[in-house]
Amino acid sequence: MKYPTVTATLAAATMAFGFSAPVHATGKMTCEAGPQSGWVSRADLEADLVEKGWKIKKSKVDGGCYEVYGTTPEGDRVEAYFHPVSMEKLLVLRRGKELFRKK
Amino acid sequence: MELMTAALRTLNSLPVFWLVLSLPALALMRGFWAGDIIAMDMLHPTGEFSARFMIIAMIISPLITIFGNRGWTGWLLRRRRSFGVAAFVYAMLHMVFYIVDMEELEPILAEFWAPGIWTGWAAMLFFVPLAITSNDASMRWLKRRWKILQRLVYGAALLTLAHWLLIHDGMTGALVHFIPLFMLQLLRMIITYGRKKKNVIKADSPRPL
Repeated sequence: MKYPTVTATLAAATMAFGFSAPVHATGKMTCEAGPQSGWVSRADLEADLVEKGWKIKKSKVDGGCYEVYGTTPEGDRVEAYFHPVSMEKLLVLRRGKELFRKK
Repeated sequence: MELMTAALRTLNSLPVFWLVLSLPALALMRGFWAGDIIAMDMLHPTGEFSARFMIIAMIISPLITIFGNRGWTGWLLRRRRSFGVAAFVYAMLHMVFYIVDMEELEPILAEFWAPGIWTGWAAMLFFVPLAITSNDASMRWLKRRWKILQRLVYGAALLTLAHWLLIHDGMTGALVHFIPLFMLQLLRMIITYGRKKKNVIKADSPRPL
């Protein structure tokens, strides 16, 4: 009964580790933008992008930046990072492939 | 008392088990139709349940090797096909919601060769022959070849793992699911190898006088 006990313990430990791991920022982009009170609202950013021809699926905060999932005016389905104060476009990724990065 | 036995038998029947396996999908579909979950957010849970059911189907043999034939391993074995078919159905849902989310063919083709994407399509391709031969008629028709064909599941599992690791931010979710599978398969190999070696030694040793 040695093997089963060891396996069961290891399996349980793996799962416990997995389920207790905190939600991290993805680390794809970080923004130092000060307190959230000074940020442009997500709704304003989305409205601005829609005006520029974007289609938005959803948006959230990641690494202190706004992360937007949607389609660019050029028709690329992407995830894109924007500075939450200046609304500047910082990074555009299509399934991990970099389509744009601010120089 | 008889009524009680009949009720318990019904509860323990395969159709009820299928219903249980479909509960996550039903809850997700309800959320989608109600507008609470967008197509994009259907992808992670449908994919995760597909992988989960595939892994459960794959650990039943190792569990039997490790623990021997017991009541509960037999119970699981009788439900292995249900787990496998459920894995396929959730993978189909996963694919359908991916297409719904992408909306058009052009962006799907544009990202097809992204490492996190083609591995998903390839895993789906492996799942198809597994699913269509998951019935008694196919088992009878293919005989010994059926078992060989079903080994495609190892390819499907590797592709699923690659797809998950490459598409998702962070590896924790994928590893939490696949490490137990890997450990149980490894243990099964060690035990099977050990038993074979023992038999060889027995066969080689001189006969007792």
